[in-house]
Amino acid sequence: MSTSLTATDIGSCNAATILSLLQYGIQKNDIQTLCEDGCRSYQDCVNAYLLSQTAAANAKASEVSESLDVAFMLYNSYLVFMMQLGFAVLCAGSLRSKNCMNILLKNVLDSCVGAIGFYLFGYAFAYGLKPNDDGNGFIGNWNFALSYTTKVSHDDDSDGFSKFGWHNFFFQWSFCAAATTILSGAVAERCNFAAYLLYSFFLSSFVYPVVVHWVWSSQGWLSAFNTDHDGNASILRVGAVDFAGSGVVHMTGGFASLMGAWIIGPRVGRFAADGSVNEMKGHSATLVVMGTFLLWFGWFGFNPGSNLVIASTTATRIVSRVAVCTAMSGGAGGVGMLLYKYVTTRSWDTVGTCNGVLAGLVAVTSGCAVIEPWAAIICGLVAAVIFCIVDHFTLYVLKVDDPVSAFPLHGGVGMFGVLFTGLLAQADYVSEVYGSTEWGSTAKSGKRYGILYGGHGQILLANFVEVLSIIGWSCFMMGTFFFILNKIGLLRVSVDAELAGLDITNRLKSGTPACNGVPESSQPGSSGDRHQGEKGLGP
Amino acid sequence: MSGPVINDCIQEVINLVSDASLAQKICDKYDCSLSASACVLNYLAKRERELSLDFSQTARAEVATSLDVAYVLFSAYLIFGPMQLGFTLLCAGAIRSKNSMNVLMKNILDACTCAIGFYLFGYAFSYGHKFGQSSNGFIGNWNFALSYTTEVSSNLALGDFQTQGWHVWLFQWAFCVVATTIVSGAVAERCTFVAYLAYSFFISSFVYPVVAHWVWSPDGWLSAFNTGAAGGYARILRTGAIDFAGAGVVHMTGGMAALMGAWIIGPRIGRFDASGKVNEMKGHSATLVVMGTFLLWFGYYGFAPGANLTIATMSGAVVVSRVAVNTTLSAATAGLVTLFVRYIKSATWDTVLVCSGCLGGLVSISAGCAVLEPWAAVLCGLGAAIVFISSDYMVLYKMKIDDPVGAVALHLFCGLWGLIFPGLLAKPQYVLDVYGDHGLGTNVRAAGKYGILYGGHGQVLLCQFIEALAICAWVGTMMGTFFFIFKVAKQLRVHVDQELAGLDVTKQVVEQYDTGGSVAPQPPAERAAFGPGVTTSAFYSNGGEEAVGYGPNV
Repeated sequence: MSTSLTATDIGSCNAATILSLLQYGIQKNDIQTLCEDGCRSYQDCVNAYLLSQTAAANAKASEVSESLDVAFMLYNSYLVFMMQLGFAVLCAGSLRSKNCMNILLKNVLDSCVGAIGFYLFGYAFAYGLKPNDDGNGFIGNWNFALSYTTKVSHDDDSDGFSKFGWHNFFFQWSFCAAATTILSGAVAERCNFAAYLLYSFFLSSFVYPVVVHWVWSSQGWLSAFNTDHDGNASILRVGAVDFAGSGVVHMTGGFASLMGAWIIGPRVGRFAADGSVNEMKGHSATLVVMGTFLLWFGWFGFNPGSNLVIASTTATRIVSRVAVCTAMSGGAGGVGMLLYKYVTTRSWDTVGTCNGVLAGLVAVTSGCAVIEPWAAIICGLVAAVIFCIVDHFTLYVLKVDDPVSAFPLHGGVGMFGVLFTGLLAQADYVSEVYGSTEWGSTAKSGKRYGILYGGHGQILLANFVEVLSIIGWSCFMMGTFFFILNKIGLLRVSVDAELAGLDITNRLKSGTPACNGVPESSQPGSSGDRHQGEKGLGP
Repeated sequence: MSGPVINDCIQEVINLVSDASLAQKICDKYDCSLSASACVLNYLAKRERELSLDFSQTARAEVATSLDVAYVLFSAYLIFGPMQLGFTLLCAGAIRSKNSMNVLMKNILDACTCAIGFYLFGYAFSYGHKFGQSSNGFIGNWNFALSYTTEVSSNLALGDFQTQGWHVWLFQWAFCVVATTIVSGAVAERCTFVAYLAYSFFISSFVYPVVAHWVWSPDGWLSAFNTGAAGGYARILRTGAIDFAGAGVVHMTGGMAALMGAWIIGPRIGRFDASGKVNEMKGHSATLVVMGTFLLWFGYYGFAPGANLTIATMSGAVVVSRVAVNTTLSAATAGLVTLFVRYIKSATWDTVLVCSGCLGGLVSISAGCAVLEPWAAVLCGLGAAIVFISSDYMVLYKMKIDDPVGAVALHLFCGLWGLIFPGLLAKPQYVLDVYGDHGLGTNVRAAGKYGILYGGHGQVLLCQFIEALAICAWVGTMMGTFFFIFKVAKQLRVHVDQELAGLDVTKQVVEQYDTGGSVAPQPPAERAAFGPGVTTSAFYSNGGEEAVGYGPNV
């Protein structure tokens, strides 16, 4: 024992206290800190020491895990943002080359406009919650222009950063961008540029965020994370189980697309005078395949990332299982579509297969965390068939011209995905994923799981409520919006501009004559003499 | 100190902790001369220190697991997304435009088929073993349709989540897709759809998983992770094969299957004229080839560094980052060397060949990337470039095998070179770092288990040879038989008329899109098929600055 220490008093401690503390094996510099903090007797000092040690260990561990979560979320957002490229390339490939530059520009711009809209209003409407306030079930009302996020990220003591931090905004924005861009293909080749800009601002700052608030925010009336009723959700005590947004993202975008495509009317020459369908082929299968792979890649950020955290054992299990289910369903969707197309048309359809993969991915988005891998395969296979049926229905029965099949893919298949969760959600997985809520932790005893496992159907019903409310909300808002634009003549380009192709009317200065140097051989409007129906569903 | 004092102390301590034996221990171990409560506090302080150490260790372990899982998942995404897309674009660009739809379709479908095949059987054959038991050295036998994975992830007490969890399946599946898709280019423009579907199911559910089991599973007979021999060493030469990211397992398997496929299906019509001279058949888009190459290179940062499977320890982080550096150097060197070799031979700067060179460098470095010094990676890339150019020439002109995208030269021969390379230049310290805890044991230095050019005893080199031979024999037999049966059954090759017209315009694929897409359809490509023979080695002989064959995009 060093005599030099015993001789001096430090802070509030006298020499005897320090001597005792040294006897406990506490380090010199720790004693220095303890005494300067003003502990009185040696017992008091030891207690203070013990408490601070435990706190330090806790803080260290939780700091690392929080950093890991933030990194995880950021990387997932980057992947989801990669989907923008996938959508852009897919749309470009599925259209006639005369409009290719135009659609690419629309896709770039909706990300830009969406960023502004979601920053100013969208994020606040979706998740904003005043501290110590109950909020309301319909819409968020705080954190406009990220004011609250800015505040909590300065404040080290607040735990607000993990809930409202920059990374949360970024992740939610990438989802919003995905929802917004769905429509661009549906109104392609004929939509006015100003109308499209207005649309993307409106959807990203109001329509989509409200749906997010309902289903995902902790105050939303339909949310599974709403614990206002003794730890249970408001609707049937479960709330809608929509893990990554088959409903929230895809159905919202899909039904907006239906409204857009319906109100804007078909492209010139799409339907003959007698109502029969003329084919209008896309110009590049290479681009379609490329877009599909990019989307599939991005989906690995979309679905597993929706767990938001990974720094615990439970979270790793959920995240990795979601990734497996996503791969399965996409694969099964492709195979299912291939076989379905081969059986019905006796041909191997590349673009159809791509749509099948995407259908599988859209469908599994809702249930990916709570279904078994074999169920994901079933989900993908059925999704491919549903896609074909809805696609046929949209084009031949509703007579709506949707150039890239955005409504069948996102609206129709998304709806199936949301309901599928109600059928095959597995009890253990439900408790694992929603275990933080009262209803989730008792999912098994309360029979809150898929009805095919013998559940009581609350999840199916709640998801059905979600389907209905999203359809109602999205159709009503976007229908009104497009109707007004149509009335004042802002929605559609002039017939001349449409026939010539939007790229060569004076709205775009494109450096190349067409997207990929592909000469457009067919004359506008003459595409009727091409054989086979779009997407191979022709007679 | 007198007896009574101690007894008093014990009594007081017993009063405090209400446990006589614990009190005895405390009094024995700590100085209770001050007071009994001081003595107990002393004890508690010690306990607390241990507990907080303990706690931070469990917390750290949990975060570390999460980090590893996140890392493995992101690596798998990189392999699946960019690499698969890269292969697709590369194939599409490297063949004639009349068939590009067809090959695109094949590439997207093998990803789908693999997912099903690898889920049902493949993963079980490669890594499956019953709980607490080992499978046999030849093939795994458990966890079909992810049954065991489902179990371990709901029952953490089994403790196998790290090695058999969902993330591992995803990662291994991504590898399997890479091995499968290699063949699509080699049999492009003439293979039927049914044969290709059957092939991709067969290789992903059986042929590839068996090879992966041999070399990577802890039970495999050739595995460096097998510690079944006496003293905890691997079974073969107490070393096992060093194939870090699968130059052998993935690339040679795919390359050998490609060789079998291209050989048995026969050359495209017009590829060789009556006298056996080679006609040139140029690809239709250099832009797509370059794009594909960059995507593959990008994806390789999931493939090679990801193969370490863990990053949450200091040594893991060191290995992963070293692998990333080596991967870069090898690819870059190989690209440059091909460029100059080509320029010296024919005075042209050949874009497409440089792309192939880069890929050759990537393939070659896969085996040794963890155990090579950066300068050795440069040498590896240099060798890869030469191997690629000469083997490409050999396959086409000597073996007379028509491989439209050079898959055999790229994956089989560069893979072979890469597999042998660690036998030459594996650095002792790195071998110890990476494999010391596994089958090679801690006596790496003493027993000379490293590259012979460092003075090693050649066990590593020998093991690498054994792996190369085993893979060639296994894949050659299995895929040879498979393709042969399909050929005999007349299911392998499309009809002559269809082939001449291009698979896209026959009813094989719905041609609802303008063919090929990215570049204008090119009548010259059609002519080239039957045009005069050329004597240059690669089929891209006019690529690069002259760019005759590539239309307006180059």
